[in-house]
Amino acid sequence: MRYETVIGLEVHVELATESKIFCSCSAKFGAGPNEHVCPACCGMPGMLPVVNKRVVDLGMTAGMMLNCHINRTTTFDKKSYYYPDLPCAYQTTQWFAPVAVNGCVEIETSKGKKKVRIKQIHMEEDAGKLVHDIMPDTTHVDFNRTSVPLIEIVSQPDLSGAEEVIAYLERLHALLRFAKVSDCRWEQGSMRCDVNLSVRPEGSSELGVRTEMKNMNSLTAIARAIEYETARHIDALENGTEVLVQETRRWDDVKGKSYAMRNKETAGDYRYFPDPNVMPVVIDDAWYAAIEASLPELPEEKRARYISELGLSEYDAAQLTQSRALCDCFEDAVSVCGKAKDAANWINSEVMNILNARKMNFDMLHIDGKSLGALILLVADGKVGRANGKKVLAAMFDDTTIDPAVYAEENGLIVSHDTGMIDAVIKEAISSDPKAVADYKSGKEKAIMALFGKCMKQLKGNCDPQVLHTMLIDAIKATE
Amino acid sequence: MNHETLRRLTLLNQLSLTDAQKEDIIAFFARQEQGLAALNVVDTESVERMVHVMPILTVVREDVAAQPFTREALQSGAPDAGEGYWRVPRVVE
Ligand SMILES: [Zn+2]
Repeated sequence: MRYETVIGLEVHVELATESKIFCSCSAKFGAGPNEHVCPACCGMPGMLPVVNKRVVDLGMTAGMMLNCHINRTTTFDKKSYYYPDLPCAYQTTQWFAPVAVNGCVEIETSKGKKKVRIKQIHMEEDAGKLVHDIMPDTTHVDFNRTSVPLIEIVSQPDLSGAEEVIAYLERLHALLRFAKVSDCRWEQGSMRCDVNLSVRPEGSSELGVRTEMKNMNSLTAIARAIEYETARHIDALENGTEVLVQETRRWDDVKGKSYAMRNKETAGDYRYFPDPNVMPVVIDDAWYAAIEASLPELPEEKRARYISELGLSEYDAAQLTQSRALCDCFEDAVSVCGKAKDAANWINSEVMNILNARKMNFDMLHIDGKSLGALILLVADGKVGRANGKKVLAAMFDDTTIDPAVYAEENGLIVSHDTGMIDAVIKEAISSDPKAVADYKSGKEKAIMALFGKCMKQLKGNCDPQVLHTMLIDAIKATE
Repeated sequence: MNHETLRRLTLLNQLSLTDAQKEDIIAFFARQEQGLAALNVVDTESVERMVHVMPILTVVREDVAAQPFTREALQSGAPDAGEGYWRVPRVVE
C-alpha cells in the first residue's frame, strides 16, 4: 500500500521589540539571569499587564504578509499551564479571537507551486528558562524570557513531506525578515517549530494518529525528523511494530531518533478563558491603514523591479534580494549616487567580501547605505581610486558614522591631479625598468602593466588609472 | 462535575483536597449546573460574546524598555534564591 504524510506546523517567532509584551522589561537576548524582570513578568500578585502596541503592529504585519484576515477586535486569554517556567501558572495567549486568521502562503518545490493555508496567527508571551544542572534536587529559574513577545503561526495540515515543510519555513523566514517582524534566528531560538505529523493510506480522507515534535530549531533536524517519523508511522501501520498513540515526542538529532515525552494535553486541559486583566484591542481604520502602508515590497517584487527599472542583471538582483538589509543598503546607496549597477556591484563584491571575512551574515550589515552611495560617487568621479575605496569601505564597517569624503581626505586617499608629481613617478619607473620599456615598444603590450603597477604603488593608488595609463604610454613613446 | 473530572482538575492544578471538600465541590457544581440549565433556555443567538464588564478598550503602551526594579529587591521575598536565580524543587520530566 502507498501512504501519504500529512503535516501541519506551529511556528513560534520572537518579535523584534524593545520591551516585553505586557511590561516594560527589555526583551533583548543574552542578559545575566533575571536581569530583565519586574513584578509583572515574574508573577507577583496584583500586577496588571499592559499590552505593548508594537506587538500588535507586528502581529498585524505578519498577518497581512501571510494574506490573513485581521480580526479588528482581538482579545487575550489565559491558558492554564502549571510549570515553574511560567510564574503565573498560566500563559497569556489568544484563543477566542486571535489577531489574524485564514491566510495562505505560496510555496514552490520540485513538484511545482502550492498554497499552504494558515489557520491563525496569535500573539502570546514566551516562557522562562529552567536550569537543572547547577545543583542536584534544585531547579534554577530565569524569568528573562518570560513575557518576551511571540507570535505563533499555525498552518493547516497541508504539507506532505520534508521538501514542502522546508520550502514553507524558508518562505516564512524570508517574509517575516523582509517585514522586520523578527530576526528569525533559528540558532538563538527566535524561530522554532512544532511539527504535527500523521500518515494515512494514499487517497484516504481520514487522518491517522498524530504525533507532535516540539521546539525544533534547525531545518536539517526538521527534515531528518520528518523522514524518521514518517518511516516509524508506516512501519507501525504495515508491520504492527508498535501501536501509534497521540503524543508529544522529542527529536534527538545526534541519535537520529524520536522519543515519547508525554501524552498531548487536549485543548480542554488548558482551560482557556478570557483574561479579565487585558482589555480587548480594537484596531480602527487608521491603525489598520498605517500597518498596511508600512508593508514592504515582497522579495520577488523587488527582484523584478531591480531588473526592469534599474537595469540590474538577474544574478545581481537575486543576490541583493536575499536579505532586507542588503536591499535597504542598496536602495539608500542608489538614492545618493544614482548608479544602480555600480551600487549592486559594490555590495555584491566588496561588501560581501568584508561580511564573509568578518563572519557576519547579511542581516548584520550595519553600514549606512547613503554613505556607501557617497563613496561610490567619489570612486566613479575619479576622486578616490577603487583600491582605496575598499579601504574607506572597511573603515565604514568599523565606524558607521564615517563620512567617506572626509575620511579619504584625512587619510591621504584622494586622487592626485598634480600631473607634475605623476610625471616624476613615471620618469623614475621608466628609468628603473628599461627592459619593460623595450618589451612594450617591441609589441608586448602587457609589459606596460609592470610599469603601471609600480607607478600606482608609488602614488599610493591616488591616481586616476585612465590618466596614469595615457600619461605612461605617452612617456614611453617619448623615449628614444 | 463528577469525581473523575474533579480528579483530573486537581491533578492539573496540583491541589490536594479532603473527601469532604470534594463532596462539597461536586454538590456546588451540581447547583450551578441547575442554574445554567435555566439560562440555557434563553435564546442568545444574536447576543455578542462578553469579554469584559468594563467599557474600556485598547489599553496599550509604547514599546519603550525600562528596568525600574532590581533583581535583589524582587528576590528578597523568595523562599529560596541564589546566583541570580529563583530556586524551586527540582522539576524534570
Ligand atoms: Zn517585566
